[in-house]
Amino acid sequence: MDSLHAIGFYVSAAVSLGGGLLVAFLPGRGGRGLALALSGLGIAGLYASLSADFAGLVALVCYAGCAVLIAGPRYRIVDSPIGMPWRQAGAVAAAGLFALLAYAAFRGDFVHATYKGGEFGIAGIGRLLFVHDALATEAVGALVMVALVGAAAAWRVRDRAR
Amino acid sequence: MSAGLVSVLFVAVALVSVGAFVATWKRDLTAALAGLPLMFGGAGVAFAGAARFSAAGDPKIFGQEVAALLAVAALALLALGVGIAGRGTSR
Repeated sequence: MDSLHAIGFYVSAAVSLGGGLLVAFLPGRGGRGLALALSGLGIAGLYASLSADFAGLVALVCYAGCAVLIAGPRYRIVDSPIGMPWRQAGAVAAAGLFALLAYAAFRGDFVHATYKGGEFGIAGIGRLLFVHDALATEAVGALVMVALVGAAAAWRVRDRAR
Repeated sequence: MSAGLVSVLFVAVALVSVGAFVATWKRDLTAALAGLPLMFGGAGVAFAGAARFSAAGDPKIFGQEVAALLAVAALALLALGVGIAGRGTSR
């Protein structure tokens, strides 16, 4: 990656992350929509600097749509039954997720191996998911199940509170 | 100045984490939905970066396709969530 693309990459990264943080902390829905659009602009810039221009164009349109949905008149408030301590625990868990994934990214590199599964080999992906990375696949499945059970439980608690 | 795979993965990880933070921190569930596009964007950046820096031959379009698909999926999920939340109280 040359210097110009690298500068574009880092500027886009700052814009997307700054927009994301603004989404978290801005109080009004209009401001949050604008922040999400800003973040989408940054993400589109990231795609463009990674030579994925078409994906950047699609992302620009889609994130503009997301911003309109967040800031638009059809937006409705749905209060969560989850209390402040649990939300704080979730924020700390997000920080822990960042630390864990950042370590994985720091150690990340391409594996040099011979792959004969073709451009998009279903058999190769199956071997990858259920043999090589079986534990990670199981962890993702468990995470999805816990998320669904938690969402269902939160929904039932909310219904009882009515 | 240059950027490699690790830099791209760091940015992707930060985006996913910020999205998770938004999803857990916001008291309003509809506002928490705004974390979804950020998390999907982070995943898309990781895919596009892996495609960009993969060693073999021409730029692989698989990662770019997944990134575009994730952007569309984020929009669809957000639209679904805002639509479902339509039964709530307007403020």
